[in-house]
Amino acid sequence: MFKELDPILHSQLRLAVISLLISVKEAEFTFLKEKTNSTAGNLSVQINKLKDAGYIDVTKQFSNNYPQTICKVTPRGIDAFEEYVKALQSYMNPNGK
Amino acid sequence: MTDEEKKMTELESLKLINEMIGKAKRSYITTGAASIVWGILIVVCSLLTWYQVYTKHAFGFDVWLLIFLALIPQIYFSISEKKKKNFISHDEHTMTYLWSTFAICIFVLSFYNSKFGADGDHSTALFMLLYGIPTFITGGIFNFKPMILGGIICWVLSVASMYTDFATGMLFMAACGLFAWFIPGIILWKKYKKQQSC
Repeated sequence: MFKELDPILHSQLRLAVISLLISVKEAEFTFLKEKTNSTAGNLSVQINKLKDAGYIDVTKQFSNNYPQTICKVTPRGIDAFEEYVKALQSYMNPNGK
Repeated sequence: MTDEEKKMTELESLKLINEMIGKAKRSYITTGAASIVWGILIVVCSLLTWYQVYTKHAFGFDVWLLIFLALIPQIYFSISEKKKKNFISHDEHTMTYLWSTFAICIFVLSFYNSKFGADGDHSTALFMLLYGIPTFITGGIFNFKPMILGGIICWVLSVASMYTDFATGMLFMAACGLFAWFIPGIILWKKYKKQQSC
């Protein structure tokens, strides 16, 4: 029986964002934009979806008079990511070998 | 990535995860400047101490106080590197705690030596033992062989200094500064410059 893939994560940009955030302690919006080669508008929408799902925390602050958006994966996001990877593995290796 | 909800196959998903984790890992770049400054100071202070013992000519001040001068460029490089970065890696967090532990241990050992008197010829062995710990761990975490080797050299020289006099121990300490920090720092600096020019 195949595990169902989490629809929140099974989208190119959202999966890219959560993979980046899993790899770092925290990252600014500019880092995510630069690494995913996405537009600011699209990235902003996808970040909000991850935030609404409780997968990431988003903090807005000012640094040297410039607005700064800092994203960090939540424990719930880590669990969801691990489940997603396990589900992917079950698709790739259905016999569990 | 322009599609708002682009769906992928399972294989594409795994490839994307690998690609992004790789990109994040490669983003952690250090200039190596702090390592170079620290290495130069250890080499200079050790050689000056060796010169004083060898020539029996005292400078009239403790040359190891120069270490405190290293704090100024260290803080400057640390702040300027932090300003340029738009993320904090897990490794960086670990490094802060590791090198802070090292600084505290060096301070406590220096304080111990000044309070109870150093064990004559062989107190340098304990310092070199400490030098090896953060160097070896840092090299291991970043899979940076020059630092792994530098850490091992510190430990080998620490043991060797137990069989030599104080002056030779100081030459060994200079070698530690050279192999554990100065040379790895130069390699990191060259890597950084190469990446900047790409």
